[in-house]
Amino acid sequence: MMLLLSALALLLLGANDAVAHAVAAGDKGYIQEISGIHLLSFMYLGAKHMATGYDHILFLLGVIFFLYRMKHIALYVTLFALGHSTTMLLGVYFNIGINSYLIDAIIGLSVVYKALDNIGAFQRWLGFQPNTKVATLLFGFCHGFGLSTKIIEYDISPDGLIPNLLAFNVGVEIGQLLALSAILIAMGYWRRTTSFWRHAYSANVAIMSAGFVLFGYQLTGFFVS
Amino acid sequence: MYNTNVPPQSDLPTSRQLRRSTAIALIAAIVILVTVVLPAEYAIDPTRIGRLLGLTEMGEIKAQLAQEAANDMAADAALKPTPVPGGAAVPVSATSAQAPVEAQPPASPAPATSAAWRDEMRVTLEPGQGSEVKLVMKSGEQAQFSWIVEGGAVNFDTHGDGGGRSISYEKGRDVSADEGVLDAAFDGNHGWFWRNRGASDVTVIIRARGQYTEMKLAK
Repeated sequence: MMLLLSALALLLLGANDAVAHAVAAGDKGYIQEISGIHLLSFMYLGAKHMATGYDHILFLLGVIFFLYRMKHIALYVTLFALGHSTTMLLGVYFNIGINSYLIDAIIGLSVVYKALDNIGAFQRWLGFQPNTKVATLLFGFCHGFGLSTKIIEYDISPDGLIPNLLAFNVGVEIGQLLALSAILIAMGYWRRTTSFWRHAYSANVAIMSAGFVLFGYQLTGFFVS
Repeated sequence: MYNTNVPPQSDLPTSRQLRRSTAIALIAAIVILVTVVLPAEYAIDPTRIGRLLGLTEMGEIKAQLAQEAANDMAADAALKPTPVPGGAAVPVSATSAQAPVEAQPPASPAPATSAAWRDEMRVTLEPGQGSEVKLVMKSGEQAQFSWIVEGGAVNFDTHGDGGGRSISYEKGRDVSADEGVLDAAFDGNHGWFWRNRGASDVTVIIRARGQYTEMKLAK
């Protein structure tokens, strides 16, 4: 087993001979260069991860697609945040690394689920409406494992891990609120038009399709890598 | 048909509210871009707020890493490394990729721990600077080493490269000393990369003995 692992490690390292001492660049490279508490930096990275993570954004779009009252939006977004914060922190703390392709494939399916939910497919097929709040929380858990898997790959220094992690989580919520604001403004314009109700169905079908694409993309990545 | 009821127009935001929200969003985005994103991504910080937040440092490190990766790539392209015969075969001891730097029984020809060091080198690093010291070793050779940092701590990567291959034995952050046995996984240069991420100059003192041809400062 050890031999196999080391053979694999050498194979991987051998393939990457371009860099003399194999440093990661970008966010990961930065994180591997620092140790100690860097609250604002990790807050920024959390916000960036959320605001540029199209899978999270698509799911969020699905969740608030038919919500227009602020108290409903706040409730669902809080449930989603509660879900992904829980598993993100626990996942990193207990070092539960799920294969990132598999968890991202599941996240793709969460987008499909929400789009189907929005077009009333479950009511038509199953004869009842599955609880949307519970679903949001459960899929929040999945998204949190996606986040924790990414963070584990970042290889954050153990020195200052907990404060940095909490800062990252705060950043994730800030990023989510920023993305949500942009989505709500766009949806606000769209909802006022009569065409919204004509296009809402097709829009959810398009979201569902994007979810399937994410699923296929990640699953293929799992088998190719 | 849809999983919702059509809301009355009065429940929706008015055009004026939406225009106002858009304007606020645009201004907020510009502020965030200039004070947070540009410093953190590109070290572009016209307002100096990024520096205060500690984000410009992130941008600088990213730029430095990107520059070094580009330099390494160019150096590698210039060298045109010969492909390893027989592909990525692994004629190496089983533990070499795991943690060879950890306590291992010294190889039979290795001198006793009380023996004198064969080479010693001092490397002074300015803040942000990185440097490498390498031992020229053949596959399977072992060298004992010990290094300490005067005036602070460093990030390190104990690694090797040669013949188009590279390996990382151990990495660490904010470390002020390390010692162990370097077990060459293949013919090539094996040694240490250190970077000073502190605010003042540090000096790394590296000492080694055992099976290697020479100790050299790589860059």
